[in-house]
Amino acid sequence: MAAANMKAIKRRIKSVESTMQITKAMELVSSSKLRKAKERAEQAVPFFNLLYQTMSEVASEAVGFRSIFTELKPEGAALMVVMAGDRGLAGGFNLNVFRKADERVKELKAEGREVILMTVGRKASEHYQKTELRILGTFDNIGETVTTYTALDMAEHIVHLCKEGHIAMVEVFFTNMVSPLVQEARQMQVIPVPNLERNPGVQSLTNYEPSPEAVFDSLIPQYLAGILYCTIVDTYASEQAARRMAMENATDNAQEMIDDLSLKYNRARLASITQELTEIVSGANAQN
Amino acid sequence: MSTFQLQIITPEKIFFEGNVQRVIVRTTEGDVGILAKHEKYVAALPSGPIKVTLEDGTERIAALSGGAVKVSPSQTAILANAVEWAEDIDIDWAKRSEEDALRRKEQSKNAHDMERAELKLQRALNRLRVSSMKQ
Repeated sequence: MAAANMKAIKRRIKSVESTMQITKAMELVSSSKLRKAKERAEQAVPFFNLLYQTMSEVASEAVGFRSIFTELKPEGAALMVVMAGDRGLAGGFNLNVFRKADERVKELKAEGREVILMTVGRKASEHYQKTELRILGTFDNIGETVTTYTALDMAEHIVHLCKEGHIAMVEVFFTNMVSPLVQEARQMQVIPVPNLERNPGVQSLTNYEPSPEAVFDSLIPQYLAGILYCTIVDTYASEQAARRMAMENATDNAQEMIDDLSLKYNRARLASITQELTEIVSGANAQN
Repeated sequence: MSTFQLQIITPEKIFFEGNVQRVIVRTTEGDVGILAKHEKYVAALPSGPIKVTLEDGTERIAALSGGAVKVSPSQTAILANAVEWAEDIDIDWAKRSEEDALRRKEQSKNAHDMERAELKLQRALNRLRVSSMKQ
């Protein structure tokens, strides 16, 4: 009996070991992907700051400045861009952002606004295909390879719908990598453009060509593309960080299980040796 | 000739940073040359070429896929969606995206799809044009 028990334990150790090899490999892959994603996320910052600064200046310096992108219209749908990962095995990473987005869907519906979705990441499209919400577009498996062209294409599509009056507001739901250990699901208002400074009456010395409004409106697709690009990259980096952490934990747990099972195995071995010895000794005693 | 600080940045990276004698950009209203001590100026840029005359007088050409130019007393910045030096342009890729854009234009069902395909076509054509301008 002890021998059969030993065999079973040995088999379990083997199986846990092979699982551990996989989680360990996934952890390593995620750390290297995380490093690259982090670099990309950081490189996008200077561009974005300058763009936002320029837009603020246009909006604040131009007298009587008006744009459809700065005021919230009562009619028109709300577009929510929800970004998640392409795969699971990353702890609560996907769930956290869905929870935030789902809550907002309810809020917007209570306000009487129609909600349209755009999803980035396979997990997000799977999640929302189950609901009855209208999906404008799905972008799967783009986190690792996203370029400004992809982002611009998405942005132009959205801006066009805004200009037609179909969409009144745009919000992005993404995961911000605060640090490799902390990722936070966030909600960001994109359109109407928030926090623009306004000081009307100050005549600008800047020459805008063709006009401040035209410059502002032509910056909108870029602004939107910039935000989409940054948030996609940030979400991707968060996904890798979350997976690295989840896999590190899984590896640690596997190691713990192996230690535990090894102890049990040794005990079983000891027990079977003791038993054999007792049998031999008692057999010898019986002969005398 | 006096020079000024020029920065060309994209969301992916800082593409160019340095002192230049002159830069020519194509705005919606036409070509604009910017020299040192230019007035404060902001303009939207559709897809088009950028010509940069470096400090030592050599001229470089890049293909810009949409963006804006901002001239302030301290520096001139070009915000680019995407930009490539003429010699770095992948002609095969540009040709492929041109074909792709043409196909999408033909298949487009409404004015909106048409417009997006047209923008894509302009970007591809601009890359091809700029690539043939290199010295």
